[in-house]
Amino acid sequence: MTENPWPRIGWRNLARHRKRTVLTALGLAVGYFAVIFMIGWAEGLTAEMVENATGLVSGQIEIHDDEYRPERSLYDTIGGRDGTDIARLLDGIAADAGVVAAAPRVYAGGLVSSGESTSAGMLMGIDPTRERSVSRFLDELVDGEMPVSGRNEVAIGVEMARQLEVGVGDEVVIVAPGADGSMGNDLYAVAGIFRTGIVELDAAQAVLPIPDLQALITLDGGRIHEIAVATDGPWVADDTAGRLVSALAPRDLAVEVASWTELNPVILDFVVLIDSFYFLIFAIVFGIAIFGVANTMLMATYERRREIAVMLALGAKPRSIVKTVLYEAVAMSGVALVFGLAISLPLMFWWNVAPPDLSRLYGNISMNGALIRPVLRVEWNLAIWMWGAVALVATALLAALYPAARAARVPPADTLSGL
Amino acid sequence: MTRRLAVLAALVCVATAGSAQAQPDPLEIINKVQDLYRGDSSHGTATMEIVTEHWSREVTIESWSLGEDHSLMRILAPAKEAGSATLMADDDIWNYLPKVDRTIKLPAAMMGGSWMGSHFTNDDLIQESRLVDDYDIELTFDGERDGARVWEVTLTPKFDAAVVWGRIEYIIRQADALPASVLYYDEDGELARSMVWSEYENIGGRMMPRLMNMRPADKPEERTTFRYEEMEFDVDVDESFFSLRTLQSRR
Repeated sequence: MTENPWPRIGWRNLARHRKRTVLTALGLAVGYFAVIFMIGWAEGLTAEMVENATGLVSGQIEIHDDEYRPERSLYDTIGGRDGTDIARLLDGIAADAGVVAAAPRVYAGGLVSSGESTSAGMLMGIDPTRERSVSRFLDELVDGEMPVSGRNEVAIGVEMARQLEVGVGDEVVIVAPGADGSMGNDLYAVAGIFRTGIVELDAAQAVLPIPDLQALITLDGGRIHEIAVATDGPWVADDTAGRLVSALAPRDLAVEVASWTELNPVILDFVVLIDSFYFLIFAIVFGIAIFGVANTMLMATYERRREIAVMLALGAKPRSIVKTVLYEAVAMSGVALVFGLAISLPLMFWWNVAPPDLSRLYGNISMNGALIRPVLRVEWNLAIWMWGAVALVATALLAALYPAARAARVPPADTLSGL
Repeated sequence: MTRRLAVLAALVCVATAGSAQAQPDPLEIINKVQDLYRGDSSHGTATMEIVTEHWSREVTIESWSLGEDHSLMRILAPAKEAGSATLMADDDIWNYLPKVDRTIKLPAAMMGGSWMGSHFTNDDLIQESRLVDDYDIELTFDGERDGARVWEVTLTPKFDAAVVWGRIEYIIRQADALPASVLYYDEDGELARSMVWSEYENIGGRMMPRLMNMRPADKPEERTTFRYEEMEFDVDVDESFFSLRTLQSRR
């Protein structure tokens, strides 16, 4: 006999009633999967929201003149009245390790008109090549092509196109107050039509190449309102913004570098709120499991009470009986974890790689300017898998405490005499 | 009982009649101010000087008007915008853009926007005619202020009126019933902008102030000064003149 037979006894006890063991372990395994899946899905939703809030149009970091926000005046361009060497500034920003791409932007308010219809428009001047590496909304146009500089072309949102009753190739008039007080106006051909999924943008945004918009609103070539920066994922934006502040400091430009957490704090608040629910999910799921496991363990120890009485009569200490029961619980959670991984891994892998489309159940949802696609997208979070495993073992151990204590108090003589 | 009610009613009637005689009718004062520049019809030229934090410019305008609901303004200078015109017919505003030879009807959402880059809004061009429809008018001061006897007439929006101002205060000179100033307050009761009239002269056979000076309250260094150069009243124009065709004809 080995020095410490109790783990082996615990393990072997599992085999006493295989079906029961498998069912109990499956209960725990499903609980494990439920936690992994629910948190993974919640993270998928928030990741979707954050990515769209930052990647669809705006970018993870925005750089403006420090006076620009919140009024967004036409005159508050980066570098003030004289503007700045934009190409050099962009190179400087792109040099940061956290930066994937950077794109300049010019904004103006104006009217877009066709025939009898006129829409109030937010005019956005872009560098077509750079813009597509920062934001996604122009990646796939609904119709047509990107506007080309010097050809008086514009891309508008689907909703604006519908309201103005124009299609690709049609002509629109754009009127915008210029930086010199004049009323800039010109004819443009609709080159492309885009869809962001966010109705406000699809109805109001009109996209022109930067030099064309600057000509319309009489703004010098070196004057832009914003540099939008795409970072390597939304969660490095804050650190990257911090580094950009120090990198840009020697240029003496008086700029404000703001990450999305500052520009769209509601989204961040929402993410934090969702994160705080994770504990609750753990508590509820394993709270339900704990009673099921306790019930099984209680039954298993009760039917073994004669066996336990023999062990005690042969000189085993009550503490050792407690040990065998707890070892049994640990062994049970080991089996449950194997089942849990067997269920979770393939499903989570599938929903991570190819999220099922739920748009038949519900349509696009947008919140605070962030679009959420109706897909069952889940995120991998190794920490959650680990914590799920810890919680599973802890649940089994907790569930076994009372049955173990009961087992240790089995009175040997009475039990063996059949009382 | 019936007799007592009748006596009471008669007393009330006498009381109201008495006070109406002693005080001027504020509605009449406002109507008079509004008719000042309008007459039945008018034609004239004016210059508008706009000074902002970022630029200043001067625009020369030729204007026609008929009654309350029709007017047309065409820019004569500067050259870059010469020929641009604004037509107001009833509640609608159209802008003609000579550079692209197109006419744009202003959407309702843009009515609060600046007219020609000035501190006047598009709404100002048409709203004035409807002050009496949208506001309750009350005489709130009758006496001497800054050495001249004036009336202060306060306009508060009617319950269901869709207007931008929380309150408008007109100061009118009692001597000649000409306007001296008007203060526009926002919904929080804060002064938003003020207009002051000056240089009271005979223009086109009428005594009227030549200058209108509009200042936004939050940017005291900015202003738009509207100066009537020449005006003639009761000219020969009819409604058909205020058409899109006239608007689009380059002169």
